[in-house]
Amino acid sequence: MLWLAILLPALPLQVFTRGARADTAIAVTASRAQTCILAASPFATAAGVRPGQRSASALALLPELQLHARAPEREARALHEIASWAGRFTPRLSLSPPDAVLLEIGSCLRLFGNAPLIEAEVQAGLRELGFEAHTACAPTALAARWFARANGRSPTAADWLDALEHLPLDVLGDEDGCDATTLALLAGLGLRTLAELHRLPAAGLARRGAQAAVHCLARARGETPDPRPWFEVDESFDCGLALPAPTHHAEALLFAARRLFASLGGWLRARHAAIDHCRLLLEHEYQPATALELVLGSPSQDESRLLLIARERLGTLQLAADVSGLRLLAEHTLAAATSSTDLFDDSGRVREQADLLLDRLRARLGRDRVSQLRALPDHRPEAAWAGLPHPPAGRTGARAVVAKGTLPAWHLPATDRLRPLWLLPTPRSVDPDAFVLLSEAERIECGWWDEQPVCRDYYLARDTRQALCWIYQCLDKPQAWYLHGYFG
Amino acid sequence: MAFPARHALDEAWPASSASGPGAILATLPTGSVWQANRIAHSQSEARPSGFAALDRELPGGGWPSGALIELLLERPGAGELSLLLPLLGRTPAERWIAWVAPPLLPYPPALLRAGVPLSRLLLIQPRRSEDALWAARQAAASGSCSAVLAWMQKLDNAALRRLQLAAEDSATPVFLFRPRSAGGQASPSPLRLALSPAGEQLRIDILKRRGPPPARPVMLTIHRDLQRDPIRTGLRLAS
Repeated sequence: MLWLAILLPALPLQVFTRGARADTAIAVTASRAQTCILAASPFATAAGVRPGQRSASALALLPELQLHARAPEREARALHEIASWAGRFTPRLSLSPPDAVLLEIGSCLRLFGNAPLIEAEVQAGLRELGFEAHTACAPTALAARWFARANGRSPTAADWLDALEHLPLDVLGDEDGCDATTLALLAGLGLRTLAELHRLPAAGLARRGAQAAVHCLARARGETPDPRPWFEVDESFDCGLALPAPTHHAEALLFAARRLFASLGGWLRARHAAIDHCRLLLEHEYQPATALELVLGSPSQDESRLLLIARERLGTLQLAADVSGLRLLAEHTLAAATSSTDLFDDSGRVREQADLLLDRLRARLGRDRVSQLRALPDHRPEAAWAGLPHPPAGRTGARAVVAKGTLPAWHLPATDRLRPLWLLPTPRSVDPDAFVLLSEAERIECGWWDEQPVCRDYYLARDTRQALCWIYQCLDKPQAWYLHGYFG
Repeated sequence: MAFPARHALDEAWPASSASGPGAILATLPTGSVWQANRIAHSQSEARPSGFAALDRELPGGGWPSGALIELLLERPGAGELSLLLPLLGRTPAERWIAWVAPPLLPYPPALLRAGVPLSRLLLIQPRRSEDALWAARQAAASGSCSAVLAWMQKLDNAALRRLQLAAEDSATPVFLFRPRSAGGQASPSPLRLALSPAGEQLRIDILKRRGPPPARPVMLTIHRDLQRDPIRTGLRLAS
């Protein structure tokens, strides 16, 4: 196993800065009550804003500084989003709250080449999402996390245990491994690195209340198992981000939306799915959100196509109020069209496309709105057809048998008779004087067996505008003439 | 439409002149240039309509395979389906014939009799007109339909252009049935025909094509079986 740890030390700040350009001054305070600066964006740091400063002094240094209270639920959602996105690299990944995602990449090394290549791709992808992360690879999950925490450099495969020993003792505090008192105890013993901890007898440490540290180290070294719950990629995509300040500028909105679309692209690849529409919600502070439906001509995995549509829509949109946040929703994924290339024949691809078309039509219009027609053996014109939802539900039913042509010929639809191409759903009462009859009557008199008998004389006729019609005289009521179809 | 350019060009560059437009045009690849006084050769392959008289008048000698074709008619029943039957009868096994929002029921026994494969017929009946447009565009763009037949009342230019692009991209002919009154509206469609019934015949006025306007309307005998074989049809024509 080879683990890649994605560690986001600046996550509390980055959930606010990811939707903003680099030259925005943003700082995060520990909470609403505590007004100490926890972290500040590079632009604010350059102006002298430092962690630990009182917010009043920070504002005195930089009046345009935007202060946000730390938002743990946003951080959790961001971590979830990163994990969904990272599913494009490997199906085996695990959340490691509060600030890391662990990817098991041993099984996908061949696909991507090698671990450094994956690491580089992860880093580049995270930058597109608007996150800066430390990454590191190691054979155990905990070690990968610790390396990412300590220096963000991966050890070589041969000497990773040595490199692990050189890590400072503080890494033990990661991921609720050891509490502060244990760390204080170890520091009190004069320990500085993991190597020094490893040299001490485990039993003695356990007796002194440092059991947790010993366990952590054993897990990191791979001596005891370290089971991790696998992260399941969500069925639907729902990610949002807060804009640093409400805005109505299309470019600013698009910049922030690009982060979400990058995330969507990762999610789609993780699920091997494609979408043909998604919804971008523009959230306002005091109004219901404005929804933008982005619809693609054909399902795609390529988020840049959606981004193009979003750009056009945002460019022409009249906003009722400034936008304070964005949310991107996608569901109803379709199977990604994997194209198998055939040298000579593209009928397989056409068949795939045909199925895809049917899926999409049914998904949007409803199942009952897309159907197929079938001719039935009945002399009554209105009973000689049936609309079937596609694919036909009853494949073993009588209708399917008729379609296969296994019934005797007399049972087949009467195709030797002249029938109109257009049939009126319900016959329309007409005045016979407006028609010129062109043929002799064809009498249709049947249906006594199912309580819907008809007794009619059908004629081919020409109406006043020279169209050929199919009209009938109802023999029960000789004055009643009806138009039943057009020869079209 | 008038084509004064023809005479102007002919006078300026007599056809015998080596530097005339004819010589220049001759050096260009065939199919990429058409002169307005001639019927264009279609770049894409054309599909024979099954009616020789009509094929003669259509650029490329048939229905263009990747284009929006507008058929304008007052009411359904003018003979518009009979016109397309030869094309529909040649549908390959894996492709659909999409019918989007037909105004009446396409009657299966008659279609079967005309040789249209019913199993390839996809009847799409959207509730709203914008859904109909969407469905027509999807069907055209998917490349899995041998023809798309769509009935639309009101369409703006952008919608027409989108349909035309979808048809071009996927080389699918899209037959758009519109009311006769739409003939006055400008359209990106390269082929527009007005259909009117004339008894057993169908009168086709070519409103727009890549080529000069035709001298006279095309009259097609579309209900051939009606005349050819009235006994077998179960009908005898009254004298």
